Amino acid sequence: MRLFVSGLRKLVRRPASWVTLGMLVGLLALILIAVGGTANERVNATREAAAKSLITFPEAYDRILQFITGLGGLFAVIYGAAIAGSEWGWGTLKSAVARGESRVKYMLISYVSVAVMIGVGLLITFAVGVLAAIFAAHLANVSTSGLGDSATLGGLPERLLKGWFAVVEEGALGFTIATLARSQLAGIGVGIAFYFGESFATIVLPDIVKYLPFSVANAALATTSTSTGGGGIFAANTDVLSPDQALLLVGVWLIGALVVAAVFSDRAEITG
Amino acid sequence: MSGTAGLALATRGLRKNYGSRHALDGLNLSVPMGVVYGFLGPNGAGKTTTMRVLTGLVHSDGGTVEVLGKPFKRGDRHRLFDVGALVESPTFYPYLSARANLRELAASGAHVPSKRIEELLDLVGLCDRANDKVQGYSMGMKQRLGIAAALLSDPKLLLLDEPANGLDPAGIVAMRDTLRALASQGKTVFISSHLLAEVQVMADVVGIVAAGKLVREGPLKELLSMQGVVKVRVRPNLVDSAIKSLQPLAAADRLIESDREEGWLAVHVSADRAEDVNQQLAGAGIFASGLESGTDLEMLFLELTGGQAVGGEGTFVGLGAPANGSATTGKETAA
Repeated sequence: MRLFVSGLRKLVRRPASWVTLGMLVGLLALILIAVGGTANERVNATREAAAKSLITFPEAYDRILQFITGLGGLFAVIYGAAIAGSEWGWGTLKSAVARGESRVKYMLISYVSVAVMIGVGLLITFAVGVLAAIFAAHLANVSTSGLGDSATLGGLPERLLKGWFAVVEEGALGFTIATLARSQLAGIGVGIAFYFGESFATIVLPDIVKYLPFSVANAALATTSTSTGGGGIFAANTDVLSPDQALLLVGVWLIGALVVAAVFSDRAEITG
Repeated sequence: MSGTAGLALATRGLRKNYGSRHALDGLNLSVPMGVVYGFLGPNGAGKTTTMRVLTGLVHSDGGTVEVLGKPFKRGDRHRLFDVGALVESPTFYPYLSARANLRELAASGAHVPSKRIEELLDLVGLCDRANDKVQGYSMGMKQRLGIAAALLSDPKLLLLDEPANGLDPAGIVAMRDTLRALASQGKTVFISSHLLAEVQVMADVVGIVAAGKLVREGPLKELLSMQGVVKVRVRPNLVDSAIKSLQPLAAADRLIESDREEGWLAVHVSADRAEDVNQQLAGAGIFASGLESGTDLEMLFLELTGGQAVGGEGTFVGLGAPANGSATTGKETAA
């Protein structure tokens, strides 16, 4: 418990936490307000309808969540890599180990703290996104009557939970990559490359990519039979697994990534 | 482990390889309880590797370690709850203050009462800057904070790697006093250092390591008593005659020519025989222009380690001996 509370305190005080959250929230709000401000200026009716669906409730709830799990997934990779990499790069893991702390416990609890921060960030981003969508709807003269749609609101906690689970899995990948690289920068770089690499791979290897971590994270929240592949919102559409299958694979990737990070941390020689 | 009773720290046959290089090659250390132990060795001799093994950061390839009388194996991390360590450079979260760093570090390992953090900040003289972010600290301030971090759990055994690094003279004196005070309380302080003068004034017992092996270990006074030296300066053109005249005083292989150009000779005899050395030279018609006597850890160190760095890390050689005649190159002559 001491380690977990300490982990949270460190993350709350860490500028990277607020910079990451600020960028995600800022981008989401900016996009929604820009859509609201320009929705009625579009000459193409199809595009206008697509734009307005982002700020029309109750569909907007899902759109906001998909944005968070898409771009938020990339941010989670970077964030997870930054946290794990700094433990090695700054030598703070070394200090804890030299005090008799368990390496596995230290690393896993560090990630539990990251997962909690991701959850808080997701809720804040979602709340700001909803507020921005309401504001954008007013700008575009779109009705907000669907805001209180009971069926959607009833399923929202489950959708948020699944979204959090998916983003946590993506963060775990960054965390593990940085642990293996023992470096923030290397972890972030490889994590980003992996994220976009998976999206590009959907073009040539769609049948394989749908089982890969970023694709299953997106598929876990998909409401249609096609969705974005790896690389979230940047990826080409591809056939996806069913949400239940995808959720199961999200769990497999999450546990697998953390097991690799734990085993590596336990076996690694801590030098430098 | 046999013969380790009463020892705070003991290693037997400790081995660690990095590829084909033997960083530790059967190291046998015996660190008594309640002493300041100076762990000396040239660059690459295995000092830091030893510290890493003793703190569980790297795993040995063979041999045994006992910490505070109990075996310390791979799964025995709880043994470190009674150990404080500063290994290599001090490490902290740069965006946190000194106080916050100590608090977060205290969340790992053994339980630490919160008042202990304030005591330690006071001890290392960082109270005034305790709320400043560590990223703005000088190296010396980080070193002080590192020492405070090592003391967090009020350890029975303190392992410090180059603790004087970056400290100003006042800081070094304060650290020395603190470590001596800890030893007087029955705690054991194990200091790895290359600052021989610092160790000479602080340590009770020293161990000298070279090429991953212990080459000498024992109470400092005892080792130095066997390491008397009289340094004498003569005209450079009389060096050969001086060596010849001094042969009866010291065994041939113990007469070290320090610096032929400056005319300094180091004669390995008891420090109280300076008068004999002077008399011997005068009897040969050679008059000394300088005479120093004493016991010298540096001499002992250079003699035992061959004055060379091992492990390919290199050392400074051949830049000329200092004017005080210290045997920088340790060249021995057979008269």
